[in-house]
Amino acid sequence: MISVEEYVTLLRDELALPVTEDDLGRSLDTVDAWDSVHLLTLCTLLERQTGRPLPFARVLEAPSLAAVYELATAS
Amino acid sequence: MSGLPPPEEWPSVRGLLAELPDEALPRAGRFLARLDPAEVLAAHPATPLVSLYVTGHGTLAALRPALAVELARHGLLAGITLADFDAWVRDLADPASDLYTTLGEAGGPAFALAVLGPEIVAAELPLPWRADDAARVLDTKIALIEKLAETFASTANGATLVLNTLPLPRELTAQLLDRRERAALGAAWREANTRLLRLDRPEVAVVDLDPLLAEGVRARDPRQSVYAKAHLTDDLLAAYAREVGHLARQAAGQGKKVLVLDLDETVWGGVLGEVGPEGVEVAEGYRGEAFTRFQRVVRQLGSQGVLVAAVSKNDPEPVAGVLRDHPGMTLREGDFVQVRANWRPKHDNLAELAGDLNLGADSFVFADDSPFERGLVRRELPGVAVVDLSDEPALHVTALLRDGWFDVPRLTSDDLARPARYREEGARRGFLESFDSLEGYLAELGTEVRLAPAAPAQLDRVSQLTLRTNQFNLTTCRLSPAEVRDLAGDPDARVLAIASADRFGEHGLVGAVLLRRDGAVLRVENFLLSCRVFARGIEQAVLGAVLEHARGSAAREVRAAYRRTAKNGRVAGFYPEAGFTTVHADEAGAEFRHDLTRPPEPVPHIRLSADFGGHQP
Repeated sequence: MISVEEYVTLLRDELALPVTEDDLGRSLDTVDAWDSVHLLTLCTLLERQTGRPLPFARVLEAPSLAAVYELATAS
Repeated sequence: MSGLPPPEEWPSVRGLLAELPDEALPRAGRFLARLDPAEVLAAHPATPLVSLYVTGHGTLAALRPALAVELARHGLLAGITLADFDAWVRDLADPASDLYTTLGEAGGPAFALAVLGPEIVAAELPLPWRADDAARVLDTKIALIEKLAETFASTANGATLVLNTLPLPRELTAQLLDRRERAALGAAWREANTRLLRLDRPEVAVVDLDPLLAEGVRARDPRQSVYAKAHLTDDLLAAYAREVGHLARQAAGQGKKVLVLDLDETVWGGVLGEVGPEGVEVAEGYRGEAFTRFQRVVRQLGSQGVLVAAVSKNDPEPVAGVLRDHPGMTLREGDFVQVRANWRPKHDNLAELAGDLNLGADSFVFADDSPFERGLVRRELPGVAVVDLSDEPALHVTALLRDGWFDVPRLTSDDLARPARYREEGARRGFLESFDSLEGYLAELGTEVRLAPAAPAQLDRVSQLTLRTNQFNLTTCRLSPAEVRDLAGDPDARVLAIASADRFGEHGLVGAVLLRRDGAVLRVENFLLSCRVFARGIEQAVLGAVLEHARGSAAREVRAAYRRTAKNGRVAGFYPEAGFTTVHADEAGAEFRHDLTRPPEPVPHIRLSADFGGHQP
């Protein structure tokens, strides 16, 4: 499991994205410094941190960082 | 690196990265990738810029942070252009393409990276397919690449095309059920890679991915490949980027020429000053074999034009003796252009070595197992590449070869003759003694020293210090564990242990002071310190504490003796330098006294806590 705070920390410290919790719901293309490759790296980092596989195909369709978080934490 | 570095702080980035472990580099790369090279150049116009045009098969965006960090490790700024998705054939075939325009406009070294993976073959296999279908596709692809390389060589003036061998995925071989068919696919695949490797020419460099994969780097993640068209893993791209970093460093004229080695625990096991020539670990035993393996690799590098030198904190004679006479040594005196065994700071030795060889210190690679020495050299000579050796000698070879420091596009006859030439010029200086100013570094080191009565569990180690310490051993009075135990139980005597630590870690018990109270006289019966830590002010701070203790406990004077041996000559002046006067002195040694009228000189960079265990002695 990963908390929302840890998720934001991961985005900021590991992925080098200047985001806050308020940015999680934004559409990805409006997130500052966002690049599609971030999504791939994010998948790898999330899998490493949570120890569970992510449904890649669905992550790639996720409209926002919050949606990615939901996929990473869905039971 | 914990955030986005401001462009004006670029010059400090290389040093920060040098201290990061490999697993922290991808993260640093993601920050560096957000740094605008133009802003760095505006702040530091002299920064060397290397232009990289990244093209190839599939999604390669992960290369941007990987290249940024790998080039920054060498002080190079990466000017990266990512081509359109899958445009590599058009990019390389059309002399008017964006690739050639970009490379043509580059001011400094320029590279086109054509990153290819197994999917360029897999995607064109018919269904069903057999080994000879794969062989045909491979043949067509390699022929195409050969032609593109020709075009590149005649179009991109002075730039380099970087190609790579194709990893062979099990997902392909395992689809062929017949054993001979499967072997035929493997053979055809290797033949294709062989053709690629044979393309290596001045305008083309081929990165062989096999050795990287053999280190355990995963080549593919099927999900990333299927869903995101990222056909090679981030880890493999990071390893590839490291190789590109080496190519970039060579192109930027920053190749290295000199390998400077520490000796104790680097070239042989053990501390020569403590264990003696017979005690060093080399050739025999588990660790000895590991050190010999390292020595063989050093010699192998030396045979290819690398100048090998040694800088060691040791007395010169025993070092010369081991290099000349030790039966197990692979490296001999003649393998070194200089051997500098003395007690001066290593960075001073490196600077003088550079002067003697008439080379810049930035052409040096320095390998040492001591974090203290590495930190000092990094700080004083930032241009020197520092190799972090650990206390595990079996890993020395990997650490030394990790960054291809001495790689060159082509070895010349001049390269091969270089070591002999320098040896003939033979400026073997060194062996001088002086202690230059180190205060700045020592202040940053945060050395902590604890002086306290040795605990029962430490008494064996104290005995070992008296038995094995030869250099910083004022009287060389050897004590068995039982004798140390007796001394510790003697109410008129005290066995004090010296433990130290600094920002690199704990050193543990590194020395001992043996005291005896005789009426109003406090006697320092012996003072011992491991050569791993001396010349950092620890000895002065501890002696100062002893003097303070004597002053505070109504002693009239402190007496101390020095007994000369073949090995402890450098501490003959230890007591006089601390304000002691000489009572008498002769060939065999000297007796000193301190009248306690003046307080000892403080040692500001050391935090010392002293416990003398009650008012006696």
